Amino acid sequence: MKKILLLLISVLFTLSTYGQSEINYSPVYSVTKVGDTLTMKFQYNKGDGGDLTLAQFDFEYNNKLLSYISSTSQAPTGASYARNNWTGYKFNPKADSDEDDMDVQYTWWKDEAGANSYSTSADWSVERTTIQHSTAYVDGNEFVKYQFKIKDKFNSGYDNYNNIIKMNWANYQKSDGTVIQTIKSPSTQSLTGIEGGNAGSFTINLKTANSVKTDYSYTIKNSAGESVATGTFDESGQASVSGLENNVTYTAEANLAEDATYLDEVVTVADLALVFAEAIGAGSGPSGGSTTFDYFIQDIMGDVVGDGGVVDFQDSYEILAYLQGVTSGNTNLITQDGQTEDYSGIESTYGAVANNTVTFAKSFTPLDSDVSTKTIDLAHGLVGDVNFSHSWEPTVNSGEKATSAQTSSFRISSAPGSKFSSTETANIDLISEINSEGQVVFSINSDVEDMVGSQFNIVYDPNVLSLENVVFDTGNEMTNFSNIVQEGLVRVGSFDQNVSATVKQGTPYKLIFTPLETIDNTSGLISFRVKEGVKADGTQINFIIQ
Amino acid sequence: MKKILILLSLFLMMGCYQDDDLVTLYPDQDVPESLQIKELIGIKLENTIVTDRVAMNVKLPLDGKYRIKIRHGMNNELISQEMITAGEGDNLLKVYVASLEKSGYLIQLTDEFHNVLGNQSFVVN
Repeated sequence: MKKILLLLISVLFTLSTYGQSEINYSPVYSVTKVGDTLTMKFQYNKGDGGDLTLAQFDFEYNNKLLSYISSTSQAPTGASYARNNWTGYKFNPKADSDEDDMDVQYTWWKDEAGANSYSTSADWSVERTTIQHSTAYVDGNEFVKYQFKIKDKFNSGYDNYNNIIKMNWANYQKSDGTVIQTIKSPSTQSLTGIEGGNAGSFTINLKTANSVKTDYSYTIKNSAGESVATGTFDESGQASVSGLENNVTYTAEANLAEDATYLDEVVTVADLALVFAEAIGAGSGPSGGSTTFDYFIQDIMGDVVGDGGVVDFQDSYEILAYLQGVTSGNTNLITQDGQTEDYSGIESTYGAVANNTVTFAKSFTPLDSDVSTKTIDLAHGLVGDVNFSHSWEPTVNSGEKATSAQTSSFRISSAPGSKFSSTETANIDLISEINSEGQVVFSINSDVEDMVGSQFNIVYDPNVLSLENVVFDTGNEMTNFSNIVQEGLVRVGSFDQNVSATVKQGTPYKLIFTPLETIDNTSGLISFRVKEGVKADGTQINFIIQ
Repeated sequence: MKKILILLSLFLMMGCYQDDDLVTLYPDQDVPESLQIKELIGIKLENTIVTDRVAMNVKLPLDGKYRIKIRHGMNNELISQEMITAGEGDNLLKVYVASLEKSGYLIQLTDEFHNVLGNQSFVVN
């Protein structure tokens, strides 16, 4: 009796495993990026199943991530082939069953599920292939090839390309109608490492010392140098960019508008003093030597005549001529009213030195796998602005000049090795009043000592006042300047080119205006913008008016 | 006795008057209503929103030198200052704003030594 039972069990086990085939589906070629064509082959694996003459299978694909292109029958000549498709449906596998068991799922669909076999789902499309032939299908032959275009998952509702194709059921039959037990392989088809696609929201943070961020614009270019995105920064210095693609390398640059109203405040006597000191004491480029600068980028920004990143007397005299309102004959690069000369680059490498060259790296590559690549900090500087009043001060180590190369007699910092940040404040009195002759007198009263240079940009109402004269009482050795930058704006100041004589205390500057109409007082008629000085040791003085 | 009572009543009535009432009773007829300052010292503009120029009353306690300062409305930085020599009482002047940037400001009256006597905010539009 025991032998009989063992025999029965053995027979039943054999019957249960006998005659199983497979349906395989897999990509023909590897795909790597959005837009690639995914070719899927659907293949017969006979295994130990019976001779197949009818093959019918049903699969679904994610239509938010794949776009159907074509399907091509691979059936042999003489075979019948049919394709059906329904968009907006998804198969509901039989509960408590093996989803890989294709004939069980087929039976569920055909005989058991009724209206419950599929449900509507906008993200999915169902494809069904039927091939019938009079002779047995050859093991390993393909049934059909499908081509899909890989779509961008941006805004698709999906974070990845997992399980985007899934075989639902298969109906393998022999010529006599006997069902061949069938399994599928793999259970689902996924794609990994797909690059490209919309990078989504990309953020640029502008880095500048200028408080007015909305005057800056950005331009993003592709590898061909074509502009792909432009715009302006908001008041916080941020710009949100869309339309960039993952795994594509771009360049970014920032520019300051040439009609900004304060450009004549960028390059001042403080910059002049620094450039003069560099010309006197150093005259060296990025290769080293004695220098008064803290950063190599100052060599670039101080080279206002554009003769190769070397700061020399030509540059200092060019700035002096600019402040004096004298036309030098050179075409200079000084940032001034109506003219900007921008430098910009990724902040982490802004002003770095590589192979004796100051660099402004601009390239970046958004990656879907790294959210930190969706933001860049873009630093910006202006030619002539060597004291960084409106420019970003570098933070990269390789952009700093060696302490040993710095001279201590005249530096923008108070001591070699310390960085640019040292400024002083001093009280002065700027005041206008009407004198006994009916003229408006604007006096600059100063008790500040040791100033080798000073500058004041004075704004007045040209419809009410006419500038008649500027009276200097700065001492005998100072080079004084006053020039009307534009109607209603006069620049007044002094500078000793030997960096030794100082501005006399008292009332070094007095502006005399004639009223163009009868006035009883001057409130608001004269205001002041730039008001700064520089001491013999290079320290910048920011004037405070009580 | 009747005279004493009448005198006492007059004192009582005067004691009930407020400074404001005194100013109201005896306004400077040359000062437009929009520029009248009830206090003994102060500064007042005819309008708060200004485009080109605006009338201003500077009411002073004594003859002397005073400063009129215009400060930026955000950072309090002084951007314009004049010195005036004016007499006690109302002084009708002007503030010229055509060359000032569009922004918010504070106009301030101080004595010669920067002691603040009054101020008012205004906007250049």
